[in-house]
Amino acid sequence: MNEQKQNEEKQGEPKQDERKRGEVLARMVSLAGEAARGMVSRVRWLIYAERGRRVMTGLAVTGVVAGVVVAQPVCMIEPGEVGIRVNRLTGTVSELHEGWSLLVPQVHRLSRYSLKDQTYAPTRSARATDPAPFQSVEGLSIGVEVNIRYVLDPERIQTLAARLPENVGRDIIEPVIDGVLRRHFAQHTVREIFSTQRVQIQKDISAELAPLLAADGVLVRSVTLGNVDLPQQYRTGMEALLAEELNAEKMRYTLDLKDKQVKQSALEAEADKVRREKAAEAAGNEEVIAAKAKAEAMRHVLPFKEKEIEQRRLEAEAAKVSRLTLATAEAEAHRIEAAGEADARRKLAESDAYRVEVTGKAASEQLARDAELITRNPLLIQKTLADKLSDKIQVIIAPPQAGGFIAGNLLGQPQGATPAKALASSEPSIQEE
Amino acid sequence: MLATLVAIALVVQDQAPLRAAPQDSAPRQATLWQGEWLEVRGEKQGFIQVYDHRRERPGYVREHQVRIYRLDEASVPKLQAVVEFLKDTPGAEALGIGYAAALLRAAPASQVGPELFDALGTLADRLARRATSNRTNDVALAAHLDVAASYGVKLVSFEREGRTRVCYDGEAFRRVLALGGSPEARLRAALSLTRPECIDPALNPVARLALDEWRGSVLEQVDGGRLPAYLTNRLHLRRAEVYAALSFQLARRGEAQRGVKASERAVEELARVLKAELAEEDKSAYAMAAVRVGASRHASEPVPEKPGSGPVLELAQGQPGETCLRLVDAKDPKAPLSERCTYGLVWPGSVRRSAQGSAVAVAVQMLEGWTELWVFHQEGGAWVLDALAPAATEPVLGYVELAGFSPDGSRVLVAREALVEGKVKSSFQVLKRETLLPEKSAESPDALGSFQRWSSSDWRGRTVAVR
Repeated sequence: MNEQKQNEEKQGEPKQDERKRGEVLARMVSLAGEAARGMVSRVRWLIYAERGRRVMTGLAVTGVVAGVVVAQPVCMIEPGEVGIRVNRLTGTVSELHEGWSLLVPQVHRLSRYSLKDQTYAPTRSARATDPAPFQSVEGLSIGVEVNIRYVLDPERIQTLAARLPENVGRDIIEPVIDGVLRRHFAQHTVREIFSTQRVQIQKDISAELAPLLAADGVLVRSVTLGNVDLPQQYRTGMEALLAEELNAEKMRYTLDLKDKQVKQSALEAEADKVRREKAAEAAGNEEVIAAKAKAEAMRHVLPFKEKEIEQRRLEAEAAKVSRLTLATAEAEAHRIEAAGEADARRKLAESDAYRVEVTGKAASEQLARDAELITRNPLLIQKTLADKLSDKIQVIIAPPQAGGFIAGNLLGQPQGATPAKALASSEPSIQEE
Repeated sequence: MLATLVAIALVVQDQAPLRAAPQDSAPRQATLWQGEWLEVRGEKQGFIQVYDHRRERPGYVREHQVRIYRLDEASVPKLQAVVEFLKDTPGAEALGIGYAAALLRAAPASQVGPELFDALGTLADRLARRATSNRTNDVALAAHLDVAASYGVKLVSFEREGRTRVCYDGEAFRRVLALGGSPEARLRAALSLTRPECIDPALNPVARLALDEWRGSVLEQVDGGRLPAYLTNRLHLRRAEVYAALSFQLARRGEAQRGVKASERAVEELARVLKAELAEEDKSAYAMAAVRVGASRHASEPVPEKPGSGPVLELAQGQPGETCLRLVDAKDPKAPLSERCTYGLVWPGSVRRSAQGSAVAVAVQMLEGWTELWVFHQEGGAWVLDALAPAATEPVLGYVELAGFSPDGSRVLVAREALVEGKVKSSFQVLKRETLLPEKSAESPDALGSFQRWSSSDWRGRTVAVR
């Protein structure tokens, strides 16, 4: 609605505009005339006046310098680059290496190519939600972070320069790589891309790209597959599946491990058995050695024991000999003693006999003398008897009674007994008293 | 009231009858011995009705023949007091063990300390000693051993020196060491666990080494610094014995360095014994430990430098476990003057040569406690080897060592110590070199003038025979 109103307003004022336009045009024509006149006078001044010529020379020099600056007839090739200079007139191609080179403007055309490694990573296919995802064999959109490293073949740049575009990467390499990647991913299932065939895919891509790009003088250094981005739902299911597989795999490894453990246990048991056998053998040996040492010690003790027994035997023999000698000596001594005693006894007996004989003789002589004395003095008997009775008795010797003993009354002697008889029985009588 | 309680009756008298009925005339079901444990079921006419779980038999027992306790915390002080009293009462070992078992059941775990196990171990140890002693009038012994066994007190018996020896296996003492306990209790436990007479004589050398190492570690767990001197002496004596044995066994196994250390330790432990503080009953143990140390002390003796000329003794390996001795002339080492191999341990540090070079002596340890002196000497121009044994007895414990040579080399001085008829006998002898027969002999080196004059300072500095 607003636009319509504006158009109506514009159509209502045409005449006023035309008048204004004529005024402006007239003013412009007059101005142009003045300018042309001024210009001619300036040119005349520049040509004919001294100062004008100097200014003219200065302007010419400035113009030349500006032209050179704008045209850049010298170019700089950076390290890691190669320049291909094409002569437009002759069509010759020359290769420029790092440093300064001359370029004739409008004659030479320079193309620079980098000799450094370059990478291409398709950013539009990195995620499943990106504008140009890869497709798997199942038709699922997946994003794969791919990184391809390549370099231009420095040997072939010169020959290929003529037909290579300015931007080799964008115009040749990237479309080729994209095509190959898409074809390869489309031949595999998501699972293969995601986990199982990853390395194989990488190798296949590399193997296909290398000759393909080599024809264009591009050397593929490496192909790297990075993160694989799956649709979220698929990813969840896939992860569960993979987890299951992982479990199965884990079980397999666990079984392997168990198997190995069993084997290890068996080996260890075997080693232990051998070790124990060795230990038992060593222990047995030690026992044998200890027993041998003990037997040896016993062997050393035995001679001492034998010596001890021998010594005891010798001592016993010595004791026997000494005791025998002693006994013999004692017996001899006894014999000598006995002989001596017998001699002594004989001598004693002899001396006794001699004494008895001498005494007997003396006694009989004494008796004879006594008998003679008594015969002469019969009263002596009584006196002697009285003396023997006691020393307190006083004896008066009186003539004996006829036919009796003087102490006959005292002794209870029967009258008429003989004195000899009375004497013989006197002792018991006294004892009785 | 008793019928409602869970209580036990401990038999306190020997030969207490278990009757079938609560009458003295009732038939005797079993004879009970002190320390036996009965479950109380009731009380009837001055009799306690009990059930004997050991014999699986119920019955009645007179009230005064048992003591009744409830197995709860309230009984702990009473039981503790009785255990404490019975711990040192001879003849009441089975009763004490019964009380200790009751205490173990009644006391909460926090109250069961090393003291209880010390008491239990002491009682079991004494019971074992009682069983070993040959008292014939101990009629209750067999029954008491049965009672102790019923409580899990394990007594092991084996034949040693022609008689059966009963030993406690030391379970309670192990617990004492594990739980801490007073220094005295720890010492008692360690001494009981490491008793040499309780070692099975049938042990093989490998097991014996392991056992001796364990004995050493047990003795190391006791801190001797906090004990009275006479008890510390016991610890030192036992350690000396154990390390002396270890030194021989380690050297025999080829672990020479450890053997040297053990030998040094044995000598050191013996030297730490304070003789003035030695208890009367430890004197024979001291003598025996000294003989053991003397037998293995050569292990730590440094090997003397080889003399320049004259006969030299060379040691070489023979059959496994065998050492061969070769006496060679230093000038002509290829032709040996005399040679002999032995299964004993030859101590290279003990090789001594007389000044004239007419005799070479070396100590050879045949057994753990039996060291001989081997003397190479010249007899009619030829070299002969004579082995001097410590004593003319069965080789068990003894050593003979060289004390020196007379200045003219015609006499050899030796010190002998050996266990003869259960007693350690020492003799210091002057032997004729030619015959090695004793010329003079005395029980003390001071009694022999020649011994005092001629014995070497090396011997006097190292020997344990003069102590």
